[in-house]
Amino acid sequence: MQFPRKIGSILAVTILLVSTVLWLIWPPAPGAWTESEIELLRSLWIGSLPPVPADPSNAVADDPRAARFGQRLFFDTRLSANGEVACATCHQPEHLFTDGLDVAQGVARGERHTMGLAGVAYSPWMFWDGRRDSLWAQALAPLESPVEHGGNRLQFVELLVSDAQYRSEYAALFDELPELPAQDPAITEVFVNMGKAIAAYERLLVPGASRFDRYVQALLADDERQFEAMLSDDELAGLRLFIGDAQCINCHNGPLFTNNEFHNTAVLPARGKLPSMGRVAAVRETRADPFNCVGRFSDDPNANCAELRFARTGDDLIGAHKTPSLRNVALTAPYMHAGQMTSLTEIIDQYNRAPLAMVGHSEAKPLNLWRNERKQLEAFLRTLSGPLATSPEWLAAP
Amino acid sequence: MLAPVGLAQEQGAQRTDDGMYLISYESKLQPITINRIHNWVVHVETSDGSPVDDAMVTLIGGMPGHDHGLPTMPLATQYLGDGDYLVEGMKFHMNGWWQITISITVESSYDSVTFDLQL
Repeated sequence: MQFPRKIGSILAVTILLVSTVLWLIWPPAPGAWTESEIELLRSLWIGSLPPVPADPSNAVADDPRAARFGQRLFFDTRLSANGEVACATCHQPEHLFTDGLDVAQGVARGERHTMGLAGVAYSPWMFWDGRRDSLWAQALAPLESPVEHGGNRLQFVELLVSDAQYRSEYAALFDELPELPAQDPAITEVFVNMGKAIAAYERLLVPGASRFDRYVQALLADDERQFEAMLSDDELAGLRLFIGDAQCINCHNGPLFTNNEFHNTAVLPARGKLPSMGRVAAVRETRADPFNCVGRFSDDPNANCAELRFARTGDDLIGAHKTPSLRNVALTAPYMHAGQMTSLTEIIDQYNRAPLAMVGHSEAKPLNLWRNERKQLEAFLRTLSGPLATSPEWLAAP
Repeated sequence: MLAPVGLAQEQGAQRTDDGMYLISYESKLQPITINRIHNWVVHVETSDGSPVDDAMVTLIGGMPGHDHGLPTMPLATQYLGDGDYLVEGMKFHMNGWWQITISITVESSYDSVTFDLQL
């Protein structure tokens, strides 16, 4: 019996359609990477993270005694107006140094979402808008902010003088604490040294390996059995999107998954709030900060301070905020500078649509990802979780 | 937008738009790596090959595909002699296609050239 030609054609077209649909729903498992893709994976791998960069403006940056002193300060709620707020109130070690809130709650409700601290010492700029240019200058700002610690430097020096352990720890690192009553510059000098000790502590907070890193490590070692077992097909497809069509890697680059720079991606302000001007307003503040790189409290009078000297503001930085690290992103909701997004799904959807910015100009362009691709991307982001590579003794109050 | 095909990381001298100068640059960071602030040396010579020693050199850059500029505001801070100008504060914060426009002002004359750079 001859097979009718018409049926044959219909069959062929049907097979073609079905296989196309199947391919779109389940694209072939991501197979081998090209050489340039492997280089991108290596660039994101935790093994590519160099040692924490030196901070010549802080003479005690890498002194373990300063880190210990700084750790005590970090967890001390007496450093506040009401005796209830420490750095660790918002930067909680059990939550990867975040607080799970939309915006920080110190002595009052703040305006910004608490950033995690793992890898913070790698950034030339601190805060969501980069308004401080060193870790120690950053540490000083919340201490005197009326909504965070709400304290003042004289109160802090009085506390240090009244605490025997602080007195001896301080003297071992710097000089004897001043006799009280004292005046500036002696008071500010102590205040600055507190910031430098807190910075020495925070420099120890660095991210550790995640499942993604173990995958890349096995891939680079050509250990096929290992790397095939490490990530699922969906996670691999998500990784391929991350470094490819979804363009996440443009800003979330390097082993910290951030370029530590500032971008406007049309993230809406928190409900009922005016949009934040972000980076464009911050550079002037940093230049005026007495604790900046060129200021007299820096321990390196010959510092180059290139980041500060050549800092730029421009219209494209209106509404721009710092790219956050994506390490442990699945464990550190909510998201964005005012905690205005609560899930990874919501964020991926935002970047997929790329709406217009309320202020300034959004760099993001619509991605037009399929629904399953968005899920794959999210699956990949969930592979970036892993404990800090910091010894446990530093992850709690001393 | 796609970058022009086959861009090398660094190119040789290019003539300015109005043909007044030949410009080349050398990055003091090799290879150029993202997220690291560094210096360039920009070389300026006339079309007959004589070094230009009294130019005001300015440099701006950005990514045409992303509508943003450099993260920094580099400045020519020093004349090194022999037509070489030290430009401090160069930094790139993304891989991809960048354009760097170098402008030369000598007295009242002005000319510029744009380099494509693929990172």
